[in-house]
Order: sequence, then structure tokens, then C-alpha cells
Amino acid sequence: MPKEVRLPQLGQTMEEGTIVTALVKVGDTVKKGDVLFEIETDKATLEMESPAEGFVRKILIEVGQTVPVGTPVLILGRQDEEISQSYIDSLTGSETSTVSPSPVKKSSSSSAAIPASSSPAQQPASPPAPGAAALPEGTRVICLPQLGQTMEEGTIVTVLIQVGDEVKKGDVLFEIETDKATLEMESPAAGFVKAVLAEVGQTLPINTPILILADKEVEIAQACIDSIKSGGPATATPSPQAPVPTTAQPPTAAATTPIATGGRVFASPRAKMVAAQLGLDLARISASSGAVRITEADVRKAAQGGIAPAATMATVSAKYGLGQRIAINRLQRIVGEKMLLSKQTIPCFYLNIQVDMTELVKLRTRMNKSGDVKISFNDFIIKAVAMGLRHYPIMTGRLDGDHIQMAETIDIGLAISTDLGLVAPIVKNTGAKSLREIAVYCQGLIDRARTEKLSLDDLTGGCITVSNLGGFGIDSFIPIVVPGQTSILGVGRINDVCLPMDGNIMVRKVMNLNLSVDHKVANGADAAQFLDFVKKALEHTDNFTQ
Amino acid sequence: MNLQVEDMRTKAVPAIASLMKQGTITLNNVKDWLRTMYEIRFFEDQVFELLGQNLIKGASHLYAGQEAVATGACAAIQMGDVIGSTHRGHGHCGAIGNKYAQDDQTRQAHWNRMMAELMGRQTGYCGGRGGSMHIADVKHGNLGSTGIVGGNIPNAVGAALAERYKQDNAVVVSFFGDGATNTGAFHESMNMASVLKVPLIVIIENNLYGMSVPFFGSPVEGAGCAANIEHIAQRSAAYGVPAKIIDGQDVVAVFLAVREAADYARKNQQMIMIEAKTYRWYGHSRSDPRVYRTKEEEKAWKERDPIAVLSKKLLEEQLCTQQELDAIRDRADATIKAATQFGLDSPWPDASELAKDVYVIETYPESLIADEKTASAQVMKATEAFETAVKTLTGQTKKEITEKAKEKIRTEFGMNVLLMKEAIIEAQAEEMRRDKNVIIEGEDVGIYGGAYGATKGLLQEFGAKRVIDTAISEAAIVGAAVGASLRGLRPIAELMYVDFITISMDQLMHNGAFNRYMFGGHAKVPMVIRTEGGVGRCIAAHHSKSLEPWLVNVPGLYVVMPSTPYDAKGLLKAAIRSDNPVVYIEHKATYGQAGAVPAQEYIIPLGVADVKRAGKDVTIVTYSRQTMFCLAAAKELAEKHGIEAEVIDLRTLKPMDIDTVAASVKKTGRLMTVAESFCMCGTGPEIVRRLIEYKFPDGYTGFDYLDTPPVNLAAADVPPPMSEPLENASIPTPDKIIAAVKAMM
Repeated sequence: MPKEVRLPQLGQTMEEGTIVTALVKVGDTVKKGDVLFEIETDKATLEMESPAEGFVRKILIEVGQTVPVGTPVLILGRQDEEISQSYIDSLTGSETSTVSPSPVKKSSSSSAAIPASSSPAQQPASPPAPGAAALPEGTRVICLPQLGQTMEEGTIVTVLIQVGDEVKKGDVLFEIETDKATLEMESPAAGFVKAVLAEVGQTLPINTPILILADKEVEIAQACIDSIKSGGPATATPSPQAPVPTTAQPPTAAATTPIATGGRVFASPRAKMVAAQLGLDLARISASSGAVRITEADVRKAAQGGIAPAATMATVSAKYGLGQRIAINRLQRIVGEKMLLSKQTIPCFYLNIQVDMTELVKLRTRMNKSGDVKISFNDFIIKAVAMGLRHYPIMTGRLDGDHIQMAETIDIGLAISTDLGLVAPIVKNTGAKSLREIAVYCQGLIDRARTEKLSLDDLTGGCITVSNLGGFGIDSFIPIVVPGQTSILGVGRINDVCLPMDGNIMVRKVMNLNLSVDHKVANGADAAQFLDFVKKALEHTDNFTQ
Repeated sequence: MNLQVEDMRTKAVPAIASLMKQGTITLNNVKDWLRTMYEIRFFEDQVFELLGQNLIKGASHLYAGQEAVATGACAAIQMGDVIGSTHRGHGHCGAIGNKYAQDDQTRQAHWNRMMAELMGRQTGYCGGRGGSMHIADVKHGNLGSTGIVGGNIPNAVGAALAERYKQDNAVVVSFFGDGATNTGAFHESMNMASVLKVPLIVIIENNLYGMSVPFFGSPVEGAGCAANIEHIAQRSAAYGVPAKIIDGQDVVAVFLAVREAADYARKNQQMIMIEAKTYRWYGHSRSDPRVYRTKEEEKAWKERDPIAVLSKKLLEEQLCTQQELDAIRDRADATIKAATQFGLDSPWPDASELAKDVYVIETYPESLIADEKTASAQVMKATEAFETAVKTLTGQTKKEITEKAKEKIRTEFGMNVLLMKEAIIEAQAEEMRRDKNVIIEGEDVGIYGGAYGATKGLLQEFGAKRVIDTAISEAAIVGAAVGASLRGLRPIAELMYVDFITISMDQLMHNGAFNRYMFGGHAKVPMVIRTEGGVGRCIAAHHSKSLEPWLVNVPGLYVVMPSTPYDAKGLLKAAIRSDNPVVYIEHKATYGQAGAVPAQEYIIPLGVADVKRAGKDVTIVTYSRQTMFCLAAAKELAEKHGIEAEVIDLRTLKPMDIDTVAASVKKTGRLMTVAESFCMCGTGPEIVRRLIEYKFPDGYTGFDYLDTPPVNLAAADVPPPMSEPLENASIPTPDKIIAAVKAMM
């Protein structure tokens, strides 16, 4: 199958490139990474590497030509593969409209990300090639996205839509289990479901088409659907929105700013310092127009605009190299000091309990399908904790001289990992909030945390913090009490477990809760009853539907 | 005038016995002279040997052969009198130390400290800071010695000026060689000493050679010639002072001549010149092969070895036996041997104390610094109010309007409005009333009132003894200030233009700034050099420079440059009170600048910058007149461009208040320096360097906080041109500052 290679963006400001040298000719065999052309950009002359392996079947541009980024420049194929003129025409005639609306990706992966196709018609806007099953205009083939850096395939756990459903951008389509966690896959676009190509239990490689969306009236021939299913022409719209992990972690976002393609990033010392403090990658920040280096203002703008991708754990670890020395930013220093203070001054005991989440998982699926507000597991847990605290006020206690002072209102902290580090803003007056209000409030907190807009008030107070590492595949962990609070709840992942039930062995969705408690305030019996209450609150889903 | 050079060598020197009979001297005195001469000789022989063994390093100019001069002269003066020495000074230091040593133990300790100093040990007179060329025991009336030939003479003039002013009946003896008499410093000093009528005895030790060049020819073929007169004493006619030529090999002759000269100087408060003909046994220094003089000449002089001359007298007059003389010799030998051992056993100086005693440590109470900040802000407001009042008030004449405006400021702020020059006059007058040790000297400071009117009225109030007009002799003006301050005065020396400081740089740096350190922290030089600089009057390259970068490059100096009348007064008062030498540079274009000045007494701490305008976008660090330019630029930047510049007036360049600069850059991320001096290795680049290296408590450096490359605005690298458009083009101006700030944003 032929495969076109397009001019990649080789630098942040590159809009077009001039072919200086062609280092391959028709018939050559190239490996991935071989240099194909020397390209002169606005900044420098750079080498363009082959994104794939194959034989050069056609070179679409000439030395000296200046073409925009995304222009097809070369066709790779099998050794003696015939390249149809119509395919070539489709490439050369529509290069500008072929640029995917998805976020700009690394040049080396732009072609590789498009699934293999036996048909030359790979571009949605290109005219259908004769003989191939054509997709009507406006049709979008949704593929299984890469939901984490190490994800190679995913298992469909739940299908939340069916043919005929209208979906909005951001609606959850599937729950997908990866090597790390069970995650929600959101729709990258709006439309009507024309075909669901994946079934529950199926394990598929990433970029496999799993859904077809189109306008309401559009009819899609079964042949076409089959063709796509079997690797036919696909409007391979990579999902721009990765699913929200079932934790309060900010979602993984694809890079929305071009990544500098190697070379030194010029930034002022102050910009470097601020970027390090905010945990931002300078390579993802652009200098303002006409400037030769990134300044503090650029970094702050990037931080506020959320341009820099929020790091998942996977990218956090990839940010650093072995042997590298990194500055401790302000936030991390505060975290360290607080945790040390906690360990030194708070004598803790630790309780563990398992919660059967089977019913809640179902309830949540139902609620999210119909409701206008997406509710996360954390929202349920926070609600349950708030109910528990109302019943066991001692768990809101704070040591005050020779007294224990119960809190006036039930305020619950939510641990959020952001680019900047760990923060635990407070869901104020949780006790008075409905589940839906909690969900809205939490989403606001997460957004503010990600964009460094948390106020001092957001960070003040609280009787307990909820910390959820389930999204990272953690079964169970023991968190450290935030000084000033009474306890902290560590939430693990929801896992299928065989449980004896009514004389049978049942597969149930089980979640671990760990509670670390300040023994100066509460004793084991208090805390145990509280934790048991939370467990039961989560298991009796009626609590959330009344 | 009828001043004759009296050649004492033509007259017979009285017998020792007759002098004893007259009660002029005792036998013990004479024996002690012999002992001193032996000690100096053995010391020098020992040093020569130790140099060869590398146990003493560096330069050593040996005094052997000339012992009678130092010994006789120091014996002839009184306790409390002062001497000034040279690079060939071991004899002077040895003899004056012996004079004050009341017992053998003190005497041994004295030689120990001398030897240790030459070896560079902690226990030396100067803690190893000075060594051979700067050995001094300043507390025994020794002004110290200079390595620059002729450089010590102006200091002696200043010391004599101080002794005269203090009326304590002390005289100053200035030793120097024939070589020094061809320097400008010699001429300036002799002239100034003569004119100012100071009790100074100059003893020219004419050992016939300035290094290798004979003063008045040599039989050796190829040897040059330094002067066209044989007797240096003949030069006394040029200064209208009496002079004598004496036999420098005969300690009795030296003693009698110096005693008489000291009497003359003391009684007449006048200088006198003595030329002692003498000879150095060794070369100029250890490496000198002495090819410029003949063996016959050396032999002839050695036959007149001062030790032999005196020994012979004592034997011939039957005042001593050979055994007694041998005993004196052996005792001196033992003293020097013990001193050598002491030196070798002494510890090296601690490198952690490397920077100790460069300055007299001066601190100001935190409250003073804080209060001054408040006062400064008030003054800014008052000055602004004055400027507004001048624009808005009405009156018949400008003067009337100004007076009305001044009255308004007095009423509203309790402050006077002074011109820069008035503030400078006030500061000096107040300090002179406060401390009688404050005197002023310089060109035109008296009846003329200073070239820029900054000493006007002071002669009338304080008289010619305290406000001293001098000849145009910049080296002597500054050197005399150094000497006077070494002797307890707080002189203010005015140099009409900072450009003229080039003439006095040796005095300012080597003596003014370095003395304290070289003399192991035992001296202090509390003088102020008041001068002015900058362009603005179209007086071209010899009268328009800003040379503060030269001066901040001198360890030991403070450099102060005020920008407003308030700063000028408070800083000058603090400078006068400082125990460190301060160069205080006014700007020639600011003498007429008016500004509010508190009515009550105040000083402004040295080394504390003033934030003259707060801002968040860029830090502009400046000083002197450029502060006014920067403030004007900052105003326009804020009003027309929305850029808030913070303007920091350093006020004191050295010590530099980098803390204030760093705190500001931490806030703004941008640093611009604006100075009127040349940029290369200048004050702006220095500020940048300090900022970049600055360490904040949070672990970051000033470098980390920079968001743009620092910008230095400074004078163009051209000699200041005369023509006004060129002059303006050569320095930063408000429009250039505005453009440069905008380019940084």
C-alpha cells in the first residue's frame, strides 16, 4: 500500500520549507529515520527523516521548491507497487485541506499515526478514489486513541452509545481498560453514531477504528463500514481528547503547541526559573512574535492559557533524564515541608476497607449517560465522606490546646496532581452540596489547579483530604495526613475481584480505601465506624439517587 | 632672600668629648648610636643572606652604608616628632624604633617585628601586608614608606601641616634619596611646604645613584646623568628655604645638623633642607651588579664606613676601649640573630584575613538607614512641591517667586530649599563647626570660594588656617591630605576637576587608599577628596570626564556621587566623618540644581542606595546627574508608554549597595545601568557583574532573575568633545534612556 510522506513542521515557527537537497530517488529503499531531504526553514537548514520504511515510489516536489508544512513530498510503497495517478492527484491537488484538524503532532508521527490502509484514499476531504468504498462527506471514523504513553492496545469494557445516538464532543463513548487503568474515552467530535465497530471484551491496537460518526441524514453503506472495519479507508481522526482517568488527575492532553525539533531552546534565565517552578517544559512554549528568546511573560501566558500539557504520571517521569539535576520548585518544597511536619507531629493509625463498587459503577454509567454534568468516582466518594463526617463529627476534629474543636462546616480536600506539582484544594462546605454540585465544584477546582488559578481560600481549611491513585493502577496506598486536618483517605483502583456472595463466587468491582487518622484527635473505634459508614454509603447507591 | 647653601663638610665636627662637656650628648647616647648602626648593618647583611636563601622574598633595598643618616637624624629629633620613610627604609624604621625602645626587651621585640615583616609573617609590623618597602610602625610617628620614588614627600608636607595646625610643637623629618628629587612630587611638595610654612626637615640622602643612573655623572663609561647640579641642596633656592650639605657618613655631624634644623623648623615653623652625602654598600637591590660605579669609588666610600668613623672617634678620644666596641658589636649581632630566629619561627598570615584592614569597618544603625529612607521620600515630595510652586506662584521677579516657593516648602515640609553648591557649603561648614580637625585645602578654595562656589564663605568663617588655598599642585594637594589625615586631621581636599586626579593618582591610591592595609591596619586616612566631573559646560576632554571607574577600581577608597542637594549634604557630612578615604564627586551641571533639604541636622549613610522612583517593569541603576535624566525618562515612560521603571540612585559607588539593586531586579527581571563614564570595565558593567553573581537567600542568583539581557548606557568611547551637540551625543540623555528601555520590553 502506498503511503505519502508530508513536509513536517521542523520548528515552532515553521510554516513552509524549501527543499535544498533530495537525498533519495525513486526506487530507493528507505528505513524509518533515513534522511530524505534537506529542508531550509525560516530558521535553519534541517534534515527531514523518513517516518516509515519502504521503497520510494514517487517524489512529488523538486529541489528549490518552497511548500507549506503538510504538503505531500514523497510516496513510499512496496518495491514494485504501482501508484495510481488518481492517488497522486489526490495528494497534489488537496494538500492544504489534508492537514488534520487535530492538534499538531510531532512530524515524525504524523503519518505513522494514520492507520494502515489498503486504499489510497486516506484523506477525508480528498475525492474518493475509484473502486474504493467511499465515505460520504462529513463522516468521521473514530479510532482507539493512545490513552497513555505506554498504551499499545485497549480492551473495551463498556460501550456507552449505540447506533443512532447523538453524541456531543466530550461525551463518554467507551470505557477502555489499558495496561494501566480503566479510562473513559470521550468523543472527539459531535455527530450521530452510524456504526460501532468494537464490542465489549475486544482488545484492539491503538488507532483501530471503533466508531463512525456522521450527520444525522448520512447513510453509510455496509460495504463501506466493513471496509473500514477491515482496515479500509478511514478518516482517521485521532481523538484529540484523551479520556478523563477515573481520578481527579487532570486529563492527558496531546501537545497543543509544536514541540521544538531538537536544538537549544533560548529562554531568559528568569523564564527558565519560572518554568522550572511551574513544572513547564520550555520546549513547549513559544517566544512572542519577533523575539529571539522565551521570557517570563511567555511562560506565565503559557501557564495561564493552559497551553502546556498537563502531565500525567507517565509524562512526568519522562520529563526527566537519569543523572539530571532538577530544582525543587516552591510547591514541591511546601509539600515536602508539610509532609515532614505531618510525619513528625501526627501520630497516625491506618485503616483499610474494601468497597464493592459494582452497583455504583453501573449507577454512574447511567447517570453520566443522561445527566448534563459528568460525575467522577471521586465525586461519589467525596459525597460519601461528607455524609460520614456528618455522622461522626469527631472525624472533623482539630486539636486546639487542651480541646478538640469540631469543624463548623464539612470541607473536604481533593488531592490534584498538576504540572506544577501536588495541590489539595478544598471543596468548601461539601456537606451542603448535592452530588451534582460537588461534581461541578470539583471540575472547577481541577481547572483552577491546572491553570494555577487557585486562590488562597481554595487552599485553606479542610477536615480530610481524598487522594485517588486508582487511575494509575494503584490498588491500595497509605496517604499522609495534611497538617491541620484529621485524616486522609487513600482511594485505590476499581478492580474485578472474585467475591463469595450468597454462597456463590461473584466477579465484583472492588475498590480499596485506606484511612490515615490523627490519633491525637480520633481513636480507632471512631475512625473505623466512619470508614465503614463511607463504605456502606458507596455500596448503597440509593444514597446518591434520592 | 640671600639664602646660602651651607656646606657643613667644610667645617670641623666638634669632638664627642666637647659635646659631652656642653651637655649636648652623653657617652651612652653615642654608644647607643653605634649600637643602632651595627643593628641596622647586621639586619641588612642578614636580609641580603636570607634573600639568597629565599627565606625572604620580594624586593629589598638595603640601607647598609647609610646608617649614620637615619641614626643621627632620629637621635636628633624629639619624642613625638614624625618621620617619613622610603623604599630604602629599614634604617629609618630601625632607628626610630630604637629611639622609642626603653629597654633591651622592647628593642629586641622591635627588631623581631621588623625581621618578621620582611619575611611576610603574621608577627611583622604590618602583619606581612607591607614587607620591605612599606615597613612602618605608625604609632611611633612613622608615616610609613612608599614604593613610589618621591611619593612619600607630599605626605610629610601634610603631616607637617597637621603638626602646625595642631600647634603641638612637633616637626616632621622626611627622608628620601637623590632619585626622588627629580620627581614632580618633590617639586610640588617643597614648594607647598615652603609656602604653607610648615615645620618640615627634608633629609635628602644623596647616595649618588638613582638605581643605576648617577645623579651627577660617573667615571664609568656609558653611565648616564640625572641632574646638572652636583648638590641637590642648591635646589632649595627655588623654594626660598635654607639648606645644608652634610657628611652622611659621620653620625655626629648628622646629629648636630638635624638637631639644629629641627630647632629651626620648630621655632620658625618653616621647612629646611639637608643633603647628606652618603653611599650604599649594596646595589639598588640584590639583583643589581653595580656596573655603573667603580670598585675604586666603592673602596673609597667603604673607608668612610659610618661604623668605622664613629668607632675611630670613640677610640681616638679614648671614650671607649676596643673591647667595649666589640661588645656593642656582638650585642647587635645577637639581637639580629634572635630577630631572624623569631621571624623564622613566626606563623604565616592567615589567608582568611586577606581582606582585613582594607577599610575601617563602619556601620550605621539600622534605624538610621530606615529613617533616612523615610526622609528621602519626604525630600522627593518637597522638591516636587517646590518645582510645582515655582511654576504656579506669581511674582514680580523670578527671585521673588523662588523666595515665595521656598517659604511654602518651609511652612509645609519644614525643609529649606538649597542649591547643590549651598548644600555642599552647609555640609562643610557644619562639620567644621562640629570638629576642629576638619580643614579644607585646594586650589581657589579660599577667597575665590571654589571654582564652582562650593566653599564660598568658609574662609570668612573659619580663617586661612582651616581654609587653605594652595598652588596648582594636585599631587601635593592630595598627598598633603593623606599626610594630614595620618596625623589626626580630617582634611577635605578639593580638586577642581576630576580630570586632574590623574596627576594625583599615585598619592590617592598608593598612600591614601593603601596605607591602612599596607601598614597592617595600624593607620587610617580619614580624608575627603572633593571634586567634580561630567560633561555639560563644553569644556572638552581635559575638564569633562567621569573617572569614577578608575576610582572604584582602587581597594581602600570610598566613592560617593550625589545627585540632589539633600544627598549632597548628607553624604558629604558622612564622608567627612568616615575614617576611610572618600572621593566625593559632584557633577558640574548640578551646582545650580535646587532641592529640598531638611532643616535639622542629618547624615546619609555611605553605601546605601536610594530608590528614587518605584516601578515594576525595569530597574534602572544610576547615580549623579544621570539620576535626574533617568527620573525624567521614567516619568515619560510611565505617562506615555505605560512602562513603570524603578530608578535606583546608588549615591555611593563604593561600597556599592547591590542588595537594593538585586531586590529590584528580582521584582522587575530587567536591569539597565546609566552612567556618564566610559563603559569599558566601567561602573555599569560592574553593576551587572555584581547582580549576576548576587546570591539570594532562596538559592537563586541575580542571573536567574534576569528576563532580558542587561543594558548599559554610558559615555561613548571618545574623549569628551567640546561642541555642544557632540557633547550631548557622547552621553546618555533622557531620550536615549527612553528608547533603550522601550527596546528592552
